[in-house]
Amino acid sequence: MSMKIPESIRELPGAFFLRNAIIVSAVAGVFLLINTQLEPTYSFYLAQAAMYATAMFGMVILVGLSGQVSLGNGALMAVGAYTFAITSMNWQTVPILGLPWNAVWSVVTAGLVGVIAGLLIGGLGARLSGPYLAGLTLGIAVGLPSIIYRFPSFLGGEDGFALRVPFPPGGYAAQDGGEVSAADAAAEEMSNEGFEDFLAEAGGDSSEILEFDQEELATGETPLVEDEVLEFDQDELSLEQESTPDLVQDVDGESPPAEISESEDSFVDLVDESAGVIDLTGFVIEQWQASLAVVMAAIVGFIALNLIRGNQGRIWKAVRDDPVAASLVGLSPQSNKVSAFVISGFFAALAGAVMAQIFAYVGPALFGLTLSLSLLVGVILGGRSSLVGAMVGAAFIVVLPKAMETFAQQLGWEDRVADNLPNLVYGLLVVLVVLVLPAGLVGSLMVAIRRRTQR
Amino acid sequence: MLRIENLSVSYGAIQALNDVSLEVPPGRVTAVIGANGAGKSTLMRTLAGLEKPQSGQVIFNGEVISGRKPEDIVRMGIALVPEGRSTISELSVEDNLKLGGMWRSHAQRNASLTRVYSLFPILKERHHMGADTLSGGERQQLAIGRALMTGPQLLLLDEPSLGLAPLIVTQILELVALMARDSGLAVLLVEQNATVALRIARTGVVLNLGEVAGSGTSAELLASEELRHIYLGTGS
Amino acid sequence: MTFFDHLLGGIASGSVIALMAIALVLVWRSTRVVNFAQVGQAMFTTFLALAVYRGTGNWLISLIAAILAGAILGLIVHFLVMRPVRRQDGSGAIIATFGVLIALQASASMIWGVDPQAYPPIVDIIGFEAFGRTWPFSRYDVLVLGVTVLLVLLLSVVFTRTSLGLRMRASAFNPTVARLSGVRVSQMLALGWALAGSIGAIAGVLIAPTFSVTPYSFDILLILAFTVAVIGGLDSLVGAVAFGIGTGLVLSLVSGYSDSGNASIVALVLLALNLLLKPEGVFAHHHSRSV
Repeated sequence: MSMKIPESIRELPGAFFLRNAIIVSAVAGVFLLINTQLEPTYSFYLAQAAMYATAMFGMVILVGLSGQVSLGNGALMAVGAYTFAITSMNWQTVPILGLPWNAVWSVVTAGLVGVIAGLLIGGLGARLSGPYLAGLTLGIAVGLPSIIYRFPSFLGGEDGFALRVPFPPGGYAAQDGGEVSAADAAAEEMSNEGFEDFLAEAGGDSSEILEFDQEELATGETPLVEDEVLEFDQDELSLEQESTPDLVQDVDGESPPAEISESEDSFVDLVDESAGVIDLTGFVIEQWQASLAVVMAAIVGFIALNLIRGNQGRIWKAVRDDPVAASLVGLSPQSNKVSAFVISGFFAALAGAVMAQIFAYVGPALFGLTLSLSLLVGVILGGRSSLVGAMVGAAFIVVLPKAMETFAQQLGWEDRVADNLPNLVYGLLVVLVVLVLPAGLVGSLMVAIRRRTQR
Repeated sequence: MLRIENLSVSYGAIQALNDVSLEVPPGRVTAVIGANGAGKSTLMRTLAGLEKPQSGQVIFNGEVISGRKPEDIVRMGIALVPEGRSTISELSVEDNLKLGGMWRSHAQRNASLTRVYSLFPILKERHHMGADTLSGGERQQLAIGRALMTGPQLLLLDEPSLGLAPLIVTQILELVALMARDSGLAVLLVEQNATVALRIARTGVVLNLGEVAGSGTSAELLASEELRHIYLGTGS
Repeated sequence: MTFFDHLLGGIASGSVIALMAIALVLVWRSTRVVNFAQVGQAMFTTFLALAVYRGTGNWLISLIAAILAGAILGLIVHFLVMRPVRRQDGSGAIIATFGVLIALQASASMIWGVDPQAYPPIVDIIGFEAFGRTWPFSRYDVLVLGVTVLLVLLLSVVFTRTSLGLRMRASAFNPTVARLSGVRVSQMLALGWALAGSIGAIAGVLIAPTFSVTPYSFDILLILAFTVAVIGGLDSLVGAVAFGIGTGLVLSLVSGYSDSGNASIVALVLLALNLLLKPEGVFAHHHSRSV
């Protein structure tokens, strides 16, 4: 991006931020504009992609710049999503200030809690190199659902919480405000119970994994676990199909409540209001969700851009490439590793808050190992050190499953094969990209372009 | 026995060795001396197969060996004792020794082991102990012992004096010289400490910035003003 | 159930965790890589073994099939992925193992589906009857424990008493010196991967009857084996066995006195504590973690 800016202006202190702000707003503006023209289904894809991109910006800093392979960022997203859910359900006023609580406060709180969580994990992991950190964060990702199950009243247990999507300021224009508020009431009423049937099927009992309950054995029953806890293959949101999940939640372009409604009648009212059928001003809920997600991605992208292009980006790289040399010039490897974790925790939590909004639900099934793996896959595919790469990666993990689905349908493949094709492609692509294009698709492209322009 | 012809080796843009030629005859010690960064270690590593030459070749007993793998070169009779006491500290002294020359017959290996133990009695005394418990000098003996276990015709010694007391260095090197004379072993000794090396070696080669700067008998080299200038920096 | 009963119940599961940890240790020793795909490989070979079992009706043949398939799969991963990736930075290798894991789980789901499958035990899985009650220890547990002990003994004899073991250890500790001594190190590394694959496969087949076999149900085993291997120092077979069985006992106690769902939390706490207090592992050689 070599805009012709005079030296004198470029050196002004604000110019750096201004330029980054222009870049980010331009990109975000384009997406917001596109969003107004999209079918609801595609808007929902856009919302998901923006949500993943938000979390992946943190992965770029953590994995790319700081060189720490983490599988804990799905858990950090869960922290954000749960904070968002719990605060928006239970808090009425802002402490001290006494202002009425709204979704923005929930998002801010989610981000702050994410910072704390990032500090904890990062502090734990700062002394660890490569495989140890990966293993620790892997443990967090796998253990997270069990932790949620431990606190059924506070964290909603296996069922999770149903949320309502915050409405645009002033609602969806002027139609039938009364009904909407009725739906709100229903949502709050249902938030703790409505999902029981749904998740009894989907999430099930987590317990049976690696314990050999001798009493059961003694009775001769092989404890056939009907539902695996720690992965959410079966916990897919769309219950009709028996399928493994894609790395991304396969939501088929509808927000989950639409499907949840099928298992819980009393939900129908709410769902009808909020799941894409309201078309009041030509701006349906999916478009509203996508706008929220894009704006959040833009805010986070702006922070990330400033950090990466600024001094801190160079410090992270220096610490990654040669921790000894870095500490000799007074840069603490540990605190800079922790700071990368804190930033990525902040971003992941904000992404989690967005996720809670676009799925209108939080629950352990969303935050399995698969989510963390998909974040890693996206960042590796796009390019470990590139924000554009993260955006491409995010688009990739949302679009690829859909493309594969169509592809497999056309060839008439079995569901079992078709459903798992995306994951197979991800796995093979990750290996291939690591072997052939270590900088990722975008990263390698940029290197190639730079080489050409230098000649 | 060993002939090096126009050997060049580079690490990326850095030319470590440039057109080096020399011969190593059997039955005596040949010294390679030079300052830090002169390319001495690169030469040794290339001979042992750890580096690939850019051009030129190495011929050993009439066979081209340059470009082959280290595990094949050692089987042909060239054993390298790398810089910095190359023992495996997690293994016992005896296991370190037994590691050398595993492809050889049982009888050959037993004979070598007896010989190494008679050369370095301290190793026999400590054969069951971990290599990490040995002193620096003992570890150097173990490293040389491991190399001898492969039954070499040519022994490559890279900076054996590094970090050792002069007395111990002299002892070890005199043993090596004796071995060369008695058994026809060829020894190529790389040293930064020229005085030590040339006292043991009959002939020597001076490397400077990756090129051969001179060669001759030890006495000639020690006397040469020019080489003193290049290498020791004490000429004028 | 008494305290003792819970301990007894944890031995067999601990053995399997130990075997899985040994597989991780073998790979770490040979190529300094934590193979996060190890458990995925074991899952895959367990499915293969199950297919063989259903075809032949012979448990032993299915076990042998798993062992062979484990070795082959280990070699494939080593030669196709890990050897080419070795020149890159550490993250590349770690990420590549996760790529393999994802691909293996997806392929298994494609071939065998995601529904839990039962792997019938070869011997009685019901606890022994003695002194008028049923003990939480069955013939099958005896088999699992026996196979584990046998394997560990076999491995330690091979590693400490044979020249092959010496070459493998030397290749792991110092590949350059090993090569200079004439050891064909690349063969030893490949052998390490094959051996790890086979041992993981055995662990998979052994745990399958007490476990529901799905492409994803082995994930928790990965965490446990990793925890155990790390606490043991990643380099130590003794550590893997001791802490593997120890972890089995702890998990059995935890699930006996609280809730089985706590298993992964316990593993996580153990891992975090260990990494904080003694990051180099209890049985590690002193410089193992500088890599």
